Formats: sequence, structure tokens, C-alpha cells
Amino acid sequence: MTSRKNGLMRRLGGASLLVRAGLLVVILGVFSVLSPNFINGYNVYALMQTFALLGMVTLGLSLTMIAGEFDLSVGSMVAVAGLITLKLGGSSMIVGTLCAVGFGVIVGLVNAAISSWLRVSSLVVTVGTMMTLSGLAYWIGGGQVVSTDNIDAGMFLDDPILGIFSARSLLAFAAFAAVFCLMRFTRGGRDIVATGSRRQVAAAAGARLGISLAIVFVISAGLSALAGSLIAISLTTASPELGANLMLQAASAAIIGGVALSGGVGGPIGVMIGVFILATLNNGLSAMGANASAVLFANGLVLLAVVILDGRLARALLERLREHRARQHLAAAAPAH
Amino acid sequence: MIAMTQKATTAMPANPSSPLLQRFMRPDRLQANAVKLVTVLLLLWGWATIDNFLSTANVNAILYSVAAVGIAAVGMAFITLSGNLFMLSMGATAAVSTIIFATTLHLGLPATLALVVIFGAIVGLLQGVVVGWAGANPIIATIAIASIVTGAGALYSGGLTIVGQGDASWLGVGTFAGLVPNQVVLFLAIAVLAEIIVERTRFGRELRLIGMNPSAASVAGLRVQRTLTIAFLVAGTAAAVAGALFASQAAQGNLRLGGGLDFDAIAAVLVGGVAIKGGRGRMMDAAFGALFLAVVSNILLVKGLAFEVQLAVKGLVVVAAVILGALIGGIKR
Repeated sequence: MTSRKNGLMRRLGGASLLVRAGLLVVILGVFSVLSPNFINGYNVYALMQTFALLGMVTLGLSLTMIAGEFDLSVGSMVAVAGLITLKLGGSSMIVGTLCAVGFGVIVGLVNAAISSWLRVSSLVVTVGTMMTLSGLAYWIGGGQVVSTDNIDAGMFLDDPILGIFSARSLLAFAAFAAVFCLMRFTRGGRDIVATGSRRQVAAAAGARLGISLAIVFVISAGLSALAGSLIAISLTTASPELGANLMLQAASAAIIGGVALSGGVGGPIGVMIGVFILATLNNGLSAMGANASAVLFANGLVLLAVVILDGRLARALLERLREHRARQHLAAAAPAH
Repeated sequence: MIAMTQKATTAMPANPSSPLLQRFMRPDRLQANAVKLVTVLLLLWGWATIDNFLSTANVNAILYSVAAVGIAAVGMAFITLSGNLFMLSMGATAAVSTIIFATTLHLGLPATLALVVIFGAIVGLLQGVVVGWAGANPIIATIAIASIVTGAGALYSGGLTIVGQGDASWLGVGTFAGLVPNQVVLFLAIAVLAEIIVERTRFGRELRLIGMNPSAASVAGLRVQRTLTIAFLVAGTAAAVAGALFASQAAQGNLRLGGGLDFDAIAAVLVGGVAIKGGRGRMMDAAFGALFLAVVSNILLVKGLAFEVQLAVKGLVVVAAVILGALIGGIKR
């Protein structure tokens, strides 16, 4: 009985991934009908480049969401990290990147420490972090765009590999693989899911709440910092406005990818599909001639739709639908016995 | 009624020797009272150490900087009190309001203000429905609305500055009885009205109880969805009015004008002593929080510190207020 139940659960999880992958294919199909030549080598490369930035940020943010928290500071972290990298990366961009990522790790630790010490919602703590970081970004850059004349590092990062990949997007894929292993094979990963599911029960059962909060916030801030460094090197410029709409897109992509704001649900594979869905949508709208404001408007609509679907009312409706289906399933299975 | 009797019993000092100090030290009012005291001390310190700190020009500068943010903070306090954390669409709503203000100013100031208020009410109502009825996460839902509103505003204005064709000087630079700026009169009127509504009406009591415990409030038969919807409607309207104040001062509409309003309002609410967990705090606390931050910003400004430093200080003040609030909450437990 249990084994059959497990099988059903697993099939359900697989089905939700399949639905998401199907949605991605449908969106790709719609855009390739609307704007011919949408799927060509160059555009797929462009999609991968979007994935390199948005994917890394979303991956970190989604981990905090799986743990039942939320890191609002990812966007401003991208901006600060880009500025730190270009300011300190005069001699070598590797040094600049390491400094930025190190700074990110510290900010992540601070976020985790304040959230778990005070037991207030991390939404509140990270609003404070977000404000402080955007102040810091203006401070570092003096409100100006900072640029570098080191174009070799950017060329290295963005040089096409096998036509559609680049060092930057491959790094993002590597980050996804690492987080997949963390979630699937380690105790820390199980702690993170448990922390987001039922926190009191998880703590009583021996899940290490403090450690899982530290892991998710450090990875979230660290990956955002890395993404910010890499995009700044690739653009050879950084500004306080760099990550302005990134948090919005990352939250949308994570929820589209099957991560719930209430925590405990979702994983890197779904998030990756979610990022590609959102990246395709934005890329497709731009290909059809939409300007930045229209894309922002569309991203807002997408986020509004997914947050309503994530909400109490929609969850109750889905639950009722699932119960109904399970009852039908049982009714169909009963005569066989 | 229940809330009032409760207040009377908790306000009764255990040690009647110094009732004033006892009232000041009450855990749930400690932060709010401390901020008021610190504001007064800061003003005294500024008066003693900075030349011309309390000159008419500088006091006017403080008052003008507090009015719009204060109105937004009072609106934000409705959301925080209801237990829905923050509304992150206030800056966007205010920014688009400046555009609406500038494009419709030729109709005359009253008509323009009415249109701005209607716009804010609609945007707020939309969020109230999404959060109150559909149960969506308030932070993420209001971020979504913010980008929809900003995107629509940018599509409409083309990202350009719109110069108003009309006279907005009554709101922009006008004064009441030649002394107090009309903006400040408006702010005080809104703050007092909000205080009365929250402390004295059924809606206000329901709002507070929902913030304390939404499921208990729902089980007890309070009108949860309706109350939340009204709270968001009020907050959206407050943001739009703040936008009108910005636009009347600058005599133009621009999407950059509302920029830091979300953060300023959140900072004012948290510093003023409205509890993040909902249900605790008063509307006047948010107004005093805004005054405190305006005084701090003004002191940093006249001491010659840059805008970036002011932003960073605001961020740190918010973090400190959150920590202080949680610690005081801990003592009470």
C-alpha cells in the first residue's frame, strides 16, 4: 500500500514537472509562430545568456522560498556585487569577483542570523538589507555608472561554446547541478525542505533550523553576488540600477517553476524550467518589438497571476479538485478488489 | 469597548508612585514613546549645535519633507496593523499619480486631486481584492501591482517629464494662515482622521484584531476580507495623495518622483513603533516615525552628509527598529 502511494506521489511530482516543461514548449511554439526565425542559434544563445543572470539569482531566491523564507535583497545584491567587482577588480577580475562573493556570503549570514535570532519574517529583515544595500550601491558608485577597460574577461565569459553556451551560462548550469545534489543527497538539503514544511515539527524531529537558514541565505546572497559580478564583467559596466527588476522576475520564475511562497515545495529542476519560461516570454516580447516598459508591465501581470495561483483561494480550489480526483480514482479502483 | 477596558486595566500602574513613567515604560508603548522622546531630544540637540537649525527656512524644509512621506506612512500603517507586513506599490502609485496630476492640472486643482484619489483608490482596491479575497502573499502581490502600474505609467508617459498646465500653488507652496504649509495641514488632518477611525470605529477594531490573529478573527465572525480590502484601498489612496504632494511641489509629473516612498514609509512605520507582526501600534506612531526620520535626514543633510549616507542610515535605523521591536516583544513574553 505504502509503495503504491509513494509511486503515485512520485508520479504526481513528475507530472507537475511535465506540465511545466509542456508550458515552456507551448510558449516557445507560440513565439516561433508569432515571430518567424525566433528559434535560431543566436536567439537560443541569447536565452542562455539571460538564463545565466536570472537563473543564478532565481536559484538562490528559490532556496530561501523552499525553506519558508524570502530574500528580498537579491536584486540590490546584484547591483552592489557588480560595483564591488569593477571597483576592486582593477588588477584581476577574479579578485574582484572573490571580494563580491565574499561580501555576499557575509550579507547572507547576517540575514540568516537576524531572521533566526529574532524569529521575525525574513521579508522584514531583507527589506532592511535591501534598503541598506541600495544605499551602499549609490555610495560605492557615487550614483554613477562604473566602467572598466578590461574587456578580455568579459569576452572570455561570453565567448560562445558549442554555439549556444558560454562560460557564464555553463557556470549557472553548474550552480543548478550543485544545488540539485545538495537538495537530493545531503542532510542539509533535507533540513531545508523540513524547515519550510512545518517548522515546529521539523525542529522537534531534529532538523537543524539555524543551519538550514544559514545555508539558504548564504547561497542566495552568494549566488546573487556571483551573478552580479559576472554580468558587470560581461557588460564592462555596473550601476546601482543593475538589478532593478531582477527580484520581480526571479520571484515569478521561482513560483512558475513550482516553488511555493509557503515553503517546503519545489526543486532546482522546476526552477530551471521556470526561469526558461520567463526568459522566453521576455525574449519573445522583445523580439516582437515590445519596449522595456511593456516587458515590465507583462512581468507584473505574470507575477500577479502566479501569486494569485499560489494564494489561499487558489490552493483551496486545487485541493478540492485533487480530492475529487482521488475519490474518483478510489471509486474506479474499488470494484477491482 | 473591550479594547478600551483592556487598555484601562493595563494602563493602571502597578506602582502608583510615578504613573507617568509607568505609562511611558509600558512594553507595548515603549518604542513609540521612546521615538517621540528621541525626536524632541534631536530637535533640542540640533537647536543647540547647529546654527539656524530652528530658523523658519529649515523648519519649513523639515515640514515639507515630512508631509508626503507622513501621509504614505499613515497609509502603510493600515497594512502593517492588519498583519499584512508592507505595501510595496506605494512608490509606483505615487509616481504614476504625479503623471496623472500633471496631465490633468488644466482641469483645476480640486478636479485633479479627485482624479488622483480615484486612481489611488482603484489601485489599492485591486490589491485589497488580491490579498484580502484571493489570499495572495501581500509583499509579492504588491510588488506585482507596482510593476504593472509603473509599466503602464511608462507606456503612457513615454518615460518623459510632464509639465503641468495649471496652478497647483495652493498645494505646492500655499500656507494656512500664512504660517503652516497647506501640505502639513493636510498631513495632520489625515493622520488625526486615521487615528480616530482606527481607535474609534468598528472597522478600526476589526483591523487591529485581524492583525493580532487572522484565523481567530475569521472564526469570531469579523469581516476579514472586507476590512482588508478597505485597508488596502486606504493605503493606495494615501500613496496617490503623497504623489499629488510631490507633483505640486515640483509642478511636474515624472515616474522618478515617487522613488524612495516605499522605503521611507516602511521606515517611518517600523521606527514609529507599529509592530510588524500586526495588531499593535497606532496611526499617530507612524506619523511620528515619519517626523523622526525627517529630522534625522535634515540633521544629516545640514551636517553635509551625502544622500547615500542618508539611505544607508535609514536602512540601519529600520534594522535597529526591527531588532528593538522584537526584543521588547520578547521582554513582554
